[in-house]
Formats: sequence, C-alpha cells, structure tokens
Amino acid sequence: MADLRDMGRQDSGPHGSGRQDFDAVVIGTGAGGAPLLARLAQAGLRVLALEAGEAHPPEAMPTDERAQAGLFWRDERLSAGANPLPFGNNNSGCGVGGSTLHYTAYVPRPQPDDFHLRRTFGVGEDWPLAFSKLEGYFDELEGFLGVSGPATYPWGPPRRQGYAHPPLPLNGAAQLMQRGAEAVGLRTSPAPNAALSRPQEQEGYGLRPACTNRGFCQAGCSVGAKASMDVTFLPLATRHGAEIRAGCFVTDLERRGDRVTGVVYRQGGQERRVRAGAVFLAAGAIETPRLLLRLGLANSSGQVGRNFMAHVGTQLWGQVEEEVRPHKGIPGALISEDTHRPEGADFAGGYLVQSIGVMPVTYASQFARGTGTWGAALTSHMRGYRHTAGINVLGDCLPQPGNFLELSDEPDGRGLPKPRIHFSWGENERRMNAHATRLMTDLWTAAGASGLWTLERSAHVIGTARMGRDPRRSVVRPDGRAHDLENLYISDNSTFPSALSVNPALTIMALSLRTADGFLAARRKGESACDRGALEQT
Amino acid sequence: MSRDPQGAGATLAELLKSPHVTSPTRQVLEERLEARHEPRALQADEFSRLQAVARRLVPPDPALFVPGEPDLAGAVDHRLASGLGDGWRYDDTPPDLEALKELLDVLPVDFVNQPSEGQDAHLRRLQERLPHAFEDLLAELTEVYYSHPLVQVSLGVAPFADAPGWTRIGLDEREEWEPQVGGAAPSPERHG
Ligand SMILES: Cc1cc2nc3c(=O)[nH]c(=O)nc-3n(C[C@H](O)[C@H](O)[C@H](O)COP(=O)(O)OP(=O)(O)OC[C@H]3O[C@@H](n4cnc5c(N)ncnc54)[C@H](O)[C@@H]3O)c2cc1C
Ligand code: SF4
Repeated sequence: MADLRDMGRQDSGPHGSGRQDFDAVVIGTGAGGAPLLARLAQAGLRVLALEAGEAHPPEAMPTDERAQAGLFWRDERLSAGANPLPFGNNNSGCGVGGSTLHYTAYVPRPQPDDFHLRRTFGVGEDWPLAFSKLEGYFDELEGFLGVSGPATYPWGPPRRQGYAHPPLPLNGAAQLMQRGAEAVGLRTSPAPNAALSRPQEQEGYGLRPACTNRGFCQAGCSVGAKASMDVTFLPLATRHGAEIRAGCFVTDLERRGDRVTGVVYRQGGQERRVRAGAVFLAAGAIETPRLLLRLGLANSSGQVGRNFMAHVGTQLWGQVEEEVRPHKGIPGALISEDTHRPEGADFAGGYLVQSIGVMPVTYASQFARGTGTWGAALTSHMRGYRHTAGINVLGDCLPQPGNFLELSDEPDGRGLPKPRIHFSWGENERRMNAHATRLMTDLWTAAGASGLWTLERSAHVIGTARMGRDPRRSVVRPDGRAHDLENLYISDNSTFPSALSVNPALTIMALSLRTADGFLAARRKGESACDRGALEQT
Repeated sequence: MSRDPQGAGATLAELLKSPHVTSPTRQVLEERLEARHEPRALQADEFSRLQAVARRLVPPDPALFVPGEPDLAGAVDHRLASGLGDGWRYDDTPPDLEALKELLDVLPVDFVNQPSEGQDAHLRRLQERLPHAFEDLLAELTEVYYSHPLVQVSLGVAPFADAPGWTRIGLDEREEWEPQVGGAAPSPERHG
C-alpha cells in the first residue's frame, strides 16, 4: 500500500538543496489537481504537486467529527451577503486529497442541458463545451474510481457503459425516501456513489476494500472504500514518478513576460522555490482566485473572483416512529432527478433530490444554528436523534454581480489578506428553494415524518475564474489555460461557467483529465499550447 | 454524579474495550473523556459567566448519563487559546475571542447569580441583539456536548463503533452491540 506520508520528501532530487526543475507543478491535490497530476506523470513528465495540507492516511482516521477538524481549511474566510456561506467543514478541504478526503462521494453525471442554461432559459451562462466532450471522461472516471450505482439509471442520455459496481445498500433515510416518493409519484433510484460495494484493485495503492457502511464519509473514510484522491489518482501519480510535497503553501508565481517560470512556497517556516515548465493551479474556488488577485495575475478580464456560485442545497429533517440511526450507511443512498426540469416551474434550471444520512454532532450543530433552539428544547429534540431522517436538494445557481470574492484588508495568520465572499440568493434561487421545500415537505409527510424543519443552505464553492472563449468575459480557455498567460492552467471548481444541477466533483475530475490531455497533445506536437487555436474549438 | 439508569457508562466501557472500536478512534474518545481545561483565553470572571451561559444554552440533559458536568466552557476557551478557528466567520462579527467577550460583556454583572428564568430572559435578548455571535457560541457548545461519547451512547447510538462496520442499517434494524434506549421512542416534537 502506498504511503502518502513519505511522498513529501524534500529536495531529494538530483539538484540537492538547490532549485529543482519540473515540467509541471500542480498546486493543490483535490478533485482538480490529482487527476491531471497522474495523467502527466503517466505520460513521463517530471511533475511535482505542492499541497498546503498534510497527509491523512485512512488507517489513522478516527471515526469522530470533532477530531477531524484538520481535514478542513482553517484559515479564516469572511462570509458576507444575505445568505452568508459557512466554510470550514461545510465548504472547504485541506490535505493530500483536498476536499475529496471528506466529500460524500455522490457522483451523478450532469445532463447535456446543464451545459446550456442560457440557450434554454435565457439566463445564466453557457459552457464553451458540450456534454459530449466530457462523456468519455465520465466513463473512464466511473470505472477508475469504482463508482457503485444501479444497473440502469433512469435519467439522462442512454449510458454507453454500466457502473463499475452494484449499488450500495439503502439505509433508513433512503428507505423512507422510497416510501414517500412512491406515495407522491416521484421516481427514485439507488444513487451513484464513488465508494466501493465490492473490493477493487487500485494501481499504486493496492486493494481498496468495500464500504463498511460506516457513514462517516464527511469525516474521512478510514477504510479506503471511498474514492478520495489519496487512494486513487495520487498513488497512481506517484507510481508513475510524480512527487507530492505536503505542508507546502504556495505564495507566489515567478514570471517572465507572459510565462510563469517558477513557484514559491512556504514549508515549515522556510521559503522555497522550484522552476516550472507549466503551472496547474488547482487550489479550489476560493484559494485560486485569492492567489491570482493577490498577484494581479490572469485578470485582464476583471473576472477573477466574480461569478461566485453555490448550489441551492436546502435540507428537510423530520423524525419517524422507526429507529433510523442516521449515521449508518453511505449518506446519499437514493436519488431522484425527476425534478431536473420540473414541469411548470417558475425558475430556470432544476435540482436533484437525495436522501441523506447525518452524523450526530453535525446534526445537533445544524439544528442549533438553523432553528436557534437552545436549552431544554434543544436537548429534548436531540433525544430523538436516532429517529431522525433527512432529505436534501441540490440545484443550479445563477451568477450575479453581487456575488463575488474579494481580498479584505484583514490579514490572516500567514499575514495574507483574508478573502471575503459575498453571497445572496437571487430570485431564481428563492423560487427553486420554495419549489423544493414544498416537494420535500409532501414527500417526508407521506413517508410518515413529523416535527419537520428546513435548513436553507447552499453547498459547494463554484465559479470565480470561469472558462469561456471570449478573453474579455472569462479567465481561462475551454482547455483550462489562462487567456493571459502561456503556461498557467486552472483546474478546479473555479472554472465552471454555471453551477450545473449536480454535485461538482465528477465534472471537476473530467475537466482535469481533459486539460491534461490537451496539454499533452500540444506538447507532443512540439507547439506551444497558446498557438493552438484548434484547442479552443471544442 | 447523575444516575445511569440505562447503563450507558458500562456500555461505553464495554465498547471501548471491544474490537468494535479502531485504535485511532479509541484514542480520541479516551482523551475526550479525560479532558478538562483551565481557562487561558478568558479572564476568571468572563469564564464563570461563560460557564453559566453554557449551562443554560446546552443544559446537561437529565435523561442522559454523563458523570459530573461536561466541561463545555473549558473546551471553548481551550480552542480560543489555541488560536484555531473553524475556517470562517460572519463578516459582520468581530474575530472569535472578541466576539465572545463582547457577548459576555452585554450580560449583567450578577448574571451568574441570577435564577435560571432571569438568565434565560437575558439570553433571549442577547440572541436578538447579537444573533451571529450568539449562533456561533451556541453551535460550538452544542458540538462539544454531543461529541461526548457518553452522551451519544445515552442517545442510543454508537457511531464510533467503527470496526468491522455495519450490516444492519435499515429502518428499525440494530446491531447487537448498538446501545438501546429503554422505553418507547420519544414522540417527535414540532419545531419552527
Ligand atoms: C462536506 C462536503 C461534502 C461534499 N460532498 C460532495 C459529493 O458528495 N459529491 C461531489 O461531487 N462533491 C462533493 N463535495 C464537493 C467536492 O469535494 C469539491 O467540489 C471538490 O473536491 C473541489 O475540488 P477542487 O479541486 O476545486 O478543490 P479541493 O478539492 O478543495 O482541493 C484544493 C486543494 O488545494 C490546496 N491548496 C489551496 N491553496 C493552496 C496553496 N496556496 N498552496 C498549496 N495548496 C493549496 C488545498 O489544501 C486543497 O487540498 C463536498 C464538499 C464538502 C465540503
Ligand atoms: S460509508 Fe463507506 S465510503 Fe463512507 S466513510 Fe464509511 S466506509 Fe468509507
């Protein structure tokens, strides 16, 4: 089994303690950084990943919510706006594997019409590439990650191949959602989850065992069943010669003209530098724009930090007669996409519905925050925890001028300006939320739940360095390269032009592989990628 | 020391000894059972006010068994003294320690000695006046309380029994090692 703790060896290369040369340096090892790191290493390039967080090997992960605070980005972010977004354990990740260390691994594919909201509804933004450009990558990823899912998936275009493994077992919340959905006439299906229902051999890592239904995915998987990057793409990358340095926080990019020539980072209080043939920025939709804004880079469009989006992610909770013990089983076991484009809806786009498991501390905290309940009312509500079950929606979000990230003038522990993120729902999000709340209330009532309460919430950080063909309106090209720089690529959740009506990780990984393939193709041709108009013609 | 009608203490001790708990998990839980913190971030009078606030916001549930009083205020102070945050704060709220001091400052000097109804009235006003700082404190106290393994066992769950995993995960299904809560299910209450 690969040990990612040893992958941070410092200056062990032929250059000793002097500066080292790499064909490519990848900043961040999450869903956007890890796949392309592996792809470039497999092609024989000399690649280095710099990761601000530490390695968290599965066998050292406690099954405990509070002890897992180290999986999240703890430098403070400022949340402004009418719907201020919580970060930390809600919307961030930090470690070798990024946010995938604690994602719930829910991986439905986007549908083709997700990519052209503007063409359909006249609002939002179209992607500069079509679903068909990513379909092959979805096929590849579902096999490689070992996605468990139903034999036939009821929504979206016909699939060219089935899921790698049969679906994971349904927990109490999923059974209740089946019951309620049947009563209100909503189709459901076992959900695709990037967690194994059967063991799978993983190149560079070894045998990943099947999910033990431990249900603590959001506190990290101690089993290795969940397809986080540390048990999939990162071991593959190191098997093919990539180097991963943990605890390395990137502070600067060295430039000459419109080329990036090196990366400056801090490790254990020391400043270090490496030379880079190309740089792939994959620090996530907050740290990527924060770094670019700080350095004044790649921003001739003025779009860096703009178009910030977060999915409508409202949850509905209730209690039932039966014991649920909602911490057991893969949290998102059941799905419905019947609401992808709901008939007669008064909003653009749509959403999916999922059953959700929940760990006790997370539930208690959300209940206290969401309802403001305290005292005996809080503790008596919590006595019903084992009878608690929830459902959740996840829906599109439109970009708006008032939703953006900026640098504040308050320095953080590293002396760098804290980012301030403005986020407010617009009319479209409010209408979608109202529609979804009505539907979930009917469904949960039909399932026999009472004491219902809703948590209006937004999830996932999206946008802030969007892709497009027009350099005046976007930060990167469809292949991920910055319009303004010859060899700087962005590969993470910040490049999404629209939010899509599904969870983002699968699409981030698909774009990551596509960016690597485009880069390698250009390199093989011996051309600089910037001359390749063809790449922009997706 | 409160009563332990359901034998939560014995159930937890059994589980912690058993192979159902992996060693990284056991270590965290055992440390937590021991943890008590002397105030370092707050002044003594602020700290005693925080203790009194904690007792009202997240009162020890008489239906649950926890020996002694859980050290909620100590955990908050300890976290503040370490300088670690949870990765974000409301833009309209000052940094954590300042926000907490401001919150405690608003309370009357004799808050600690007031009867609980009087304290609750002050806390309700505080919740209206400084909603974000209040919410942050409430959430943190709640998280500390419900992460106590004895509290979890008393709720009838043992999510930390993480090895070898769960097979009985459906409605009304229970592994034989999962704690049971005596009597009928509590009737769900209505909220908001
Ligand atoms: C609780 C939770 C549950 C989720 N569940 C799902 C789900 O079920 N399905 C789904 O599709 N998505 C889910 N997501 C979202 C998903 O995890 C993220 O969208 C995805 O991982 C984002 O990928 P990324 O590459 O953009 O960023 P990340 O995965 O966050 O990776 C960024 C990495 O860059 C590092 N970094 C940042 N700045 C620097 C710097 N200056 N120097 C060096 N390194 C740096 C960070 O430490 C981090 O490791 C969930 C997220 C959360 C928080
Ligand atoms: S439910 Fe499965 S995938 Fe999730 S943490 Fe547990 S073992 Fe890992």
